[in-house]
Amino acid sequence: MTDHGKDDTGTRILIDGLGKTYRRDGKDTEAIEDISLEIRQGELVSFIGPSGCGKTTLLKLIAGLIPPTGGTVEIDGRSCTTPGADRGMVFQDFALLPWRSVRKNVELGLEIAGVPKAERRERAENYIKLVGLEKFADSKVYELSGGMKQRVAIARSLVVRPDVVLMDEPFGALDAQTRNIMQAQLIDILGSTDQTIIFITHSVDEAIYLSDRIVVLTKRPTTIREIIDIPWERPRDRSAPEFNVLKKRILDYLEKENVMEN
Amino acid sequence: MLAAVSLVLLLLLWQFLSVLIDRTVVPTPLETWDALVELFRIGDPMSGRSVWTYIRSSLGTFLKGFVLAFAVAFPLGLILGYSKILRELVEPAFEVLRPIAPVAWAPVFVVLLGYVLGPMMVVFVGIFFPLITSVIFGVTKIDPNWIDATRTLGATRIQTFVKVYIPSSIPYLMNGVKTGLGIGWMCIVSAELYASPVGGLGFFISNQAQVGYWPGVFAGIVIIGILGIITVGLSDYLHKTLSKRMGMDA
Ligand SMILES: Nc1ncnc2c1ncn2[C@@H]1O[C@H](COP(=O)(O)OP(=O)(O)OP(=O)(O)O)[C@@H](O)[C@H]1O
Ligand SMILES: [Mg+2]
Repeated sequence: MTDHGKDDTGTRILIDGLGKTYRRDGKDTEAIEDISLEIRQGELVSFIGPSGCGKTTLLKLIAGLIPPTGGTVEIDGRSCTTPGADRGMVFQDFALLPWRSVRKNVELGLEIAGVPKAERRERAENYIKLVGLEKFADSKVYELSGGMKQRVAIARSLVVRPDVVLMDEPFGALDAQTRNIMQAQLIDILGSTDQTIIFITHSVDEAIYLSDRIVVLTKRPTTIREIIDIPWERPRDRSAPEFNVLKKRILDYLEKENVMEN
Repeated sequence: MLAAVSLVLLLLLWQFLSVLIDRTVVPTPLETWDALVELFRIGDPMSGRSVWTYIRSSLGTFLKGFVLAFAVAFPLGLILGYSKILRELVEPAFEVLRPIAPVAWAPVFVVLLGYVLGPMMVVFVGIFFPLITSVIFGVTKIDPNWIDATRTLGATRIQTFVKVYIPSSIPYLMNGVKTGLGIGWMCIVSAELYASPVGGLGFFISNQAQVGYWPGVFAGIVIIGILGIITVGLSDYLHKTLSKRMGMDA
């Protein structure tokens, strides 16, 4: 766990001069003005910023779901212009397929990869257990609470073991207690893999608890306001003075950029 | 409960009208019932054929038209829903063709395709439009996040088609089937009324009318009504249970 983010063997993700302007019905919306950043393999980087500043847009650009209008995103020198199973994404609104059971949703990526049925089932089962939904494996999506859906979405993206996991407020719909458990689990999962996590959150507390670095974004059109390194050992102590000093500093900034913390 | 009341009211109205108008042309429900029983017992008094021959003939034509419409409308609807350009290319033509009563094509189809395939094509036209409209609508209703999520799991275009487009349009397809079957069933009888020599319930009715046996005509009408209710009721049930099981309301 401790060598997190200290792996300098190679740059994994290189975001260079990235910009995105949406054009719809002749109307332009500039979401991202200019973002440049390097993210190392195994690092957990959080993005935090005002509502509607372009965080989801940034993840979609890295995922290759939408084309940038400026700049590039590269992973190990390969341009991320199309989506691929190397970059998993946990969607803000879960994006579960309603006609599939929990199990079938988690198996989706394995089906796509052509994993044989028995192995698919076993691997899905492991991740369903990991997110604590083994009792609901055969439930339909509409029978789940928001928090449960979110856990299914997390299991679905992790089960295919992507190199990079793009998480769009993945714990946003969870109650405080489950949220803390999921945060601790995420740290555990990270400890045993080499996965790079790009994490969006509205919770400053969560960002400080989890991240190697926090990238604070400005209002739309967004740019990087500040990058904060957090070299502290994990698991982190939320009551530590330096934790709270940092938290207050980021909160003050966000308040100035008019957002609410949840 | 209210449904039963409604049916009783219908029968009373029928009785009232037949007494009021002309009992020879509009027989009472009881007279019709007698004719119906006779029909099933001894068959068509004129041709001696069993009533089941007519029913089977109508249902056969209907089913063939339906299968053909389904086989064309489902894939074509998916493609048109998927491609905005193709959709905008084809839809104006659809808008012109859609309001034409399918049976208006009957003379053309019968001349071109004969008495067997002609009525089937009329049914095809009747079912095709509601079906394809529903499928296109279903595809445009797909949550773009479902597609994005599937793509970030490594899906190719064809895989997103198989894993998202096809399953998510099924409840909409079933909704179209429901509407289509109702319209198709109307088409088959009117096409048969026109294209007499092939048989079927439409043929039976026009034959009975020609010889002036009105209870026979009404017996035929009742059979058509009952079969229509069964077909539409069945597809309605299928659509509802399927949508519910798939967690979608389409
Ligand atoms: N497909 C689109 N077409 C046009 N404008 C869009 C599109 N998607 C997003 N936008 C706009 O781009 C801006 C950034 O949106 P985005 O969803 O990236 O913000 P966000 O930071 O994720 O917001 P939130 O905090 O609510 O999750 C918003 O103004 C939004 O309205
Ligand atoms: Mg967002």
